Amino acid sequence: MNCKVAIAFMHDYLDNELSREQSAELSRHLEQCPECRKRLESLERTDALLHSVPAERAPNYMAYRVMKSLPKTRSPKAWTTWVRRHPAFSAAAMFLVVMVSSFVAMWNQSEQLTVRGADLEHVVIEGNTVIIPAGQKVAGDLTIENGVAQVLGDVEGNLTIIDGNVTLASTAHIAGKVKTIDRAMDWAWYKVTSWFDTLAYGS
Amino acid sequence: MKPIETRLARLARKGDQRAFAEIVDLYKDKLYHLAYRMMNNRQEAEDVVQETFLRVYKNLDRYDEDQKFSTWIYRIATNLCIDRLRKRRPIYSLDAESADHEGLDGYAMMPSDDRTPESELILSETQRIIRDAIETLPAKYKSVMVLRYLQDMSLQEISDVLDMPVTTIKTRVHRGREFMRKKLENKL
Repeated sequence: MNCKVAIAFMHDYLDNELSREQSAELSRHLEQCPECRKRLESLERTDALLHSVPAERAPNYMAYRVMKSLPKTRSPKAWTTWVRRHPAFSAAAMFLVVMVSSFVAMWNQSEQLTVRGADLEHVVIEGNTVIIPAGQKVAGDLTIENGVAQVLGDVEGNLTIIDGNVTLASTAHIAGKVKTIDRAMDWAWYKVTSWFDTLAYGS
Repeated sequence: MKPIETRLARLARKGDQRAFAEIVDLYKDKLYHLAYRMMNNRQEAEDVVQETFLRVYKNLDRYDEDQKFSTWIYRIATNLCIDRLRKRRPIYSLDAESADHEGLDGYAMMPSDDRTPESELILSETQRIIRDAIETLPAKYKSVMVLRYLQDMSLQEISDVLDMPVTTIKTRVHRGREFMRKKLENKL
């Protein structure tokens, strides 16, 4: 061990950071190096002197002065703290609020009866009732939003009713599936899938 | 169970002034000791202590309970001291004589400490020399040495307070101690 390492070890020793093996190494070095022995003594003196500095006490009026300096009301802005502590969660919540509000806005927009389909010539609309008269044939799919469907004739595709209901007469014949959607989630799902359909097939 | 300071901090956060007064009682002397040795001036030490508690009070909501309360409060106090030391350096060049005040160095220009308590009157020559030596330590060593010796912190605790790697703290303690050794060896 050279003296430079020995001095570093002395400091570690004074900081209680020296391992048992290192202590042994250091003492072996000290046995044969009077210079380092002197250095250790000197450092130990410094250490003791620094430890001997008496603790200062704050003046008597310190506590009073501190308490008097505090603002009168500690307004606990609970929610700002919460937001600061949970940034990711706050962002997610904010996003959700925006999503829901725009969704609700969209939902409220479509209160009126909407009828969509490739072939609407054979469809009769009375108020919010969509009638497919007996003997008539609707080619392709038919979608009715916010209305009641009364099917007496034939539909060659799927019949989808959103927020409404359907009555099928005995003469009715629907080649595809009949689907009634009246819950928000189903409606949303339908919107999403039809949007993807539009993307995929461009219709 | 959480340590007492953490529980007091929680109460104080809810607006319990008595809980905060207890925190002040627990820490006022420790912080004063720290600030006085850092600033070497009673008036400034009192200001630092007051400012520290004020910041603690205002930021109780931000106190992270996973951290030791003492680490948090010491960090605030130490940073305040370091900031003040940094700000006053260009004003008082401690060892250089000032042109405007003939014969006066920076020490004499500092606000005088006339409220010397009786304990100071019997301050031994040894203690005076130690104080002066601490005062001449460069700021970055001073904070580390004051925390190490006057607050009896381990290297790890100092590293938490100053938010610096332990290896940096270790180097600073070693150098600070060598600095002190040279200063004290000559005079004692």
